[in-house]
Amino acid sequence: MAASVNSACKPSTEGNPLNTTSFQKKTRSKILSIPGTRPSVQNGQLLVSSGVTSLDYLLGGGLAVGTVLLIEEDRYDSYSRMILKYFLAEGVVCRHELFLAAAHDHPDDIFQELPDPILDDVAMYKPVEQPRLSCDPQDSLDAMKIAWRYQNLPKVQSALASSSRFGHYYDVSKTMEPEIRQAAKCHHFYLAEHPSQSTATHSLMLHSYSALLKSIEEVINREGFQVAEPMTKPRNILRIGLHSLGSALWGDDLCCRDNPKHSHALTTFLYGLRALLRTSLAVAVVTVPSHLIQNISQMASITRLCDNAIALESFKGSERETNPLYKDYHGLLHVRQVPHLNCLASQLPDHKDLAFKLKRKQFTIERLHLPPDLSETVSRVSRVELEGASMVTSSCGSGTKHLDF
Amino acid sequence: MLHELIHGTDAGWLLLIQDSCSCSGRRLLWSFIKAAIRDEVVHVLSFESSEDEMKEGLKGLPFERVHFHDGHSDPLGWTGGGTAFTVDRFCSEEVTCRVKQSSQLRPAILVIDSLSWILRHHSTPAVCQTLQQLKRGGALRNIVALLHSDLHQLGTAASLCHLATSVITVAAGPNGNEAKITKRLKSGKVLQDEEIFTIKEDLTVIRQSKPSNAVQVQDQETDPTANLTFNLRLSDAERDAKEKLPLPFVFSHQKKAALLNTGAGRGRITYEPDANDDYDQEDPDDDLDV
Repeated sequence: MAASVNSACKPSTEGNPLNTTSFQKKTRSKILSIPGTRPSVQNGQLLVSSGVTSLDYLLGGGLAVGTVLLIEEDRYDSYSRMILKYFLAEGVVCRHELFLAAAHDHPDDIFQELPDPILDDVAMYKPVEQPRLSCDPQDSLDAMKIAWRYQNLPKVQSALASSSRFGHYYDVSKTMEPEIRQAAKCHHFYLAEHPSQSTATHSLMLHSYSALLKSIEEVINREGFQVAEPMTKPRNILRIGLHSLGSALWGDDLCCRDNPKHSHALTTFLYGLRALLRTSLAVAVVTVPSHLIQNISQMASITRLCDNAIALESFKGSERETNPLYKDYHGLLHVRQVPHLNCLASQLPDHKDLAFKLKRKQFTIERLHLPPDLSETVSRVSRVELEGASMVTSSCGSGTKHLDF
Repeated sequence: MLHELIHGTDAGWLLLIQDSCSCSGRRLLWSFIKAAIRDEVVHVLSFESSEDEMKEGLKGLPFERVHFHDGHSDPLGWTGGGTAFTVDRFCSEEVTCRVKQSSQLRPAILVIDSLSWILRHHSTPAVCQTLQQLKRGGALRNIVALLHSDLHQLGTAASLCHLATSVITVAAGPNGNEAKITKRLKSGKVLQDEEIFTIKEDLTVIRQSKPSNAVQVQDQETDPTANLTFNLRLSDAERDAKEKLPLPFVFSHQKKAALLNTGAGRGRITYEPDANDDYDQEDPDDDLDV
């Protein structure tokens, strides 16, 4: 059972650091109040933000603690990698612990590329900076031309209160500063550091997957993420990111052949991972290069074994790139599965046609809609209006633009 | 973009040339060798063409910089010759060892002809892992490999293309050989291009043109300030004057400093509530005798 929250009241909010109140709501029963989580409105599950606020909305408020999110990668693995980085960056901002496993790049390379959080009202642990006094008037006055009255307000809050907001925004053009990143505890698993031992292959799982599962289990036990542990010390969430599972670099020929020899390796791993997560305070995001998997039934069983599943399809490289219908977006997003956690029916998203766009400060997921049809074929057939239109076009000379007044 | 790939100077990439029966990519592979010979040491791991064939194709070039590892004469080790590179020796330790033996100082470029041969004897995950280890190890600068896409299942070729940094797919077209190029940059951006090229006798690559079925999107923005009866444009002097115009509520430097500095404590208004503030909602005129 995924970690559920007993009462429906909000966890204690530490107030806005600008007017630091020590207001704490009196709670009736013992609930897990972990920074960066909140109970779901629908069924009381403890939710964690995935880093992308529009994705949180699609998944019913956020990722439930103890579940697995499967992301089917786009063709060149750009956007799925971006979502994985958002997920890890959100963990850094909420001060959760991180675990990243990759076979292609070293996990430290991915950690270096995390996007910079946009923090205007949130206090982050930074080496303490004194609020800027007007001792250096020259450059402080030149800094802002219009909003100069706000210059001397302190930019860095010295209070260490964590953010009461659920879900943050990130600036993709900058990378997270090393001080913020090092404040978060990160564990990593790089496959090249775990050489394969040629033991008898009687298990269904490949050596790489079993080593990964053992590593995750060891981190959970050592750092105390199991739900059953006595609540003596403050609890935290472990965010697990697994990059490109099932690709050939993990030793799996699921993507390479039509009838793979290790057809059950990845599914066994996911089964073990989900069992492990259900008894611990952890969330996992797994990316799989599904465009390489030729067997559709394999992909269906992989999707079944994860709780949430979304698929990204980017327009880059396909003939849809030049389609004017899709010119505002970078790709399509398909929601393959939503979880049924402790309930019979789950909240499906209303719209099935979703498209995403990666902007500098936001990853937006919107409903795909047809743009309004402003072509010349949409015409009004009154003769008076046609004459009027021709007069207008001759004076403005705007060529084919159709100005109907 | 073909030119930039051939003469590129950055390191750490794996380039895959995918060809098929209709159009062979071997000459393109040799043109990569030719471009690289000028600056770097090249190691060629050849299973499909013999050393003489390659020397014939690369005639006129300094051959001392090319180290040829012969996998063609005895690939499976049947005759038991010592110097031949048998296909089961294709693993990262063996290749690194051979590369380090011959070239000392700078990392070299490895050219593999072809990966299809190796894929018949090793599993795809093993080949991918070997290529990844070679790419990340320090002994090699770049790797260029040839792959015959019609010899493999879709998944195999796609997995290798997914691993590669750049992929050039050559095909025979009506006007010449067409190349579809996909290049992945480190920032995550993906560049794509289609070109028609020919390779001359001395292995220089000539780019001819883009294929004719490429859709040219024409984006003409009509200038809204043109063809009007009134003038909406700004001359340079007018633009200068516009930028120099002081905005309202922009104070002078001294006034700003004065306003900012008085926030420290002077000028604070202290108010003590007096009797008039004691407003009773139920008794506004204050005349009830209760």
